[in-house]
Amino acid sequence: MTGWDEPMSGHREAGPAPGDVDLDRVWLGVAAQVWRRRPGPAERAAGRLLRSPGLARALVTTPSLLLGWVIATVVILLAGAGIALGTGTPWVALLAPAVAAAGIAYAYGPGIDPAWELSQSMAVSDRMVLLVRALAVFGLNAVLGLAASAASGAAAAVTFGWLVPMTAVCALALATATVTKSPNVGVAAGSAGWVIALLSGKAADGQFTAAITDASFVLPYLALAVCCAAVVLFVTRIPRGTR
Amino acid sequence: MNVELTDLNRKFGHTRAVAGVSLEAGPGVFGLLGPNGAGKTSLLRMMATVLPPTSGKLRLLERDPGSYGPRREIRRRLGYLPQNLGYYPGFTVADFVEYFALLKDMPPGQVPRAVAAAIEHVGLGDRARSKLRTLSGGMLRRAGIAQAIVNEPELLLLDEPTAGLDPEQRVSFRALLRDFGQRSTVIVSTHLVEDVAAACTEVMLMDAGRVVFHGTPGELIARGEGHGVGDAPLERGYSAVLAAARS
Repeated sequence: MTGWDEPMSGHREAGPAPGDVDLDRVWLGVAAQVWRRRPGPAERAAGRLLRSPGLARALVTTPSLLLGWVIATVVILLAGAGIALGTGTPWVALLAPAVAAAGIAYAYGPGIDPAWELSQSMAVSDRMVLLVRALAVFGLNAVLGLAASAASGAAAAVTFGWLVPMTAVCALALATATVTKSPNVGVAAGSAGWVIALLSGKAADGQFTAAITDASFVLPYLALAVCCAAVVLFVTRIPRGTR
Repeated sequence: MNVELTDLNRKFGHTRAVAGVSLEAGPGVFGLLGPNGAGKTSLLRMMATVLPPTSGKLRLLERDPGSYGPRREIRRRLGYLPQNLGYYPGFTVADFVEYFALLKDMPPGQVPRAVAAAIEHVGLGDRARSKLRTLSGGMLRRAGIAQAIVNEPELLLLDEPTAGLDPEQRVSFRALLRDFGQRSTVIVSTHLVEDVAAACTEVMLMDAGRVVFHGTPGELIARGEGHGVGDAPLERGYSAVLAAARS
């Protein structure tokens, strides 16, 4: 191996090695141990689950799963829960899909993931990275949903009424972000879709909350989620090298 | 042959970025020259399997990148430095190189040593634990080169690799190119003809998506004798070929 300046730059001062010891090799072994990143418990668990250290590392670098984002999400939902307790309106459930849609749209893409182009040339498929990150954001929001519904006592009905619309709105945000290659457009589409669902709920029976309490919305939500998932799969399909 | 391109085309809407490029390249250092908008980056992105061609045939490392399995195998053995290198500001140099080593599907047991070797190779050993946001532009470029070479690639694609490097670093970088060129196919897109003169065994000059010259640096110099504009012989060859192609 020839080096940039000298092989093992900055470590040549030691002079000739005693005997046959190759100091460059020794230094590489030391540097490898000193510089390596020790994965945290979440990354180790993800690595075992996904059977790919690369995917696990991509998962823990998800822009919308970084600590600041998660704290902001929890603060918004706690504020919603506080207002809900005072007013009796389920503000947590009304806010959550839009918050989750933004989290999903900011999971992966140009302008959001700095190394997006480089990631596209990697052996671990960028589609897998996208799917794993989207699933992780869904999972986090589902956990938050369960915690919030348990805390507020509304329990299963609110969680069900929350998670199904959230899934549909998030799928819309993901599909739009993927098609347009713009997370901002994805957030706009997800938020707009959710506002339309709220307004249509109000039109149906005069209540905003119908969007999360009316059981007749469940099937359209699920159908929308399936359609959006199909769009994402189509857009991220394996491109042909030749046509 | 590590790279086989046959009548490769790439369109963006009505704009034809790459128009009928054919090329065969084995081990060696291959320079890709041309003015802005010539199609160098699009061609390199197709070879990096980031951008599918609109038409034509592309084979890399004797595989068809159009199929999932072969493409994954190509990517394991590929090194790519994009023109605009994105990075995570909070990562250290070692974290950054290790991340891409893992995404290249390198065996996890080999990763720490390969990362250390790549970082030392580009002379960033003393900054291995520094956050990327604290590095200069030239150091970031070297970190990008380190991730490209971490898997000892058989096909190394570098888009403007010397941007931001000072003259001393560029001399060292050319040595690295020559070293890799002995066992791998190295394709370097650049505006700087002196990089080509110093390190490349073959040159391809592109203009408006087409290949207007393909030969050795010596042949390009010969094309500029008595013609062209430029301070260096290779620059005169470059401008003479471009002028002839546009006339």
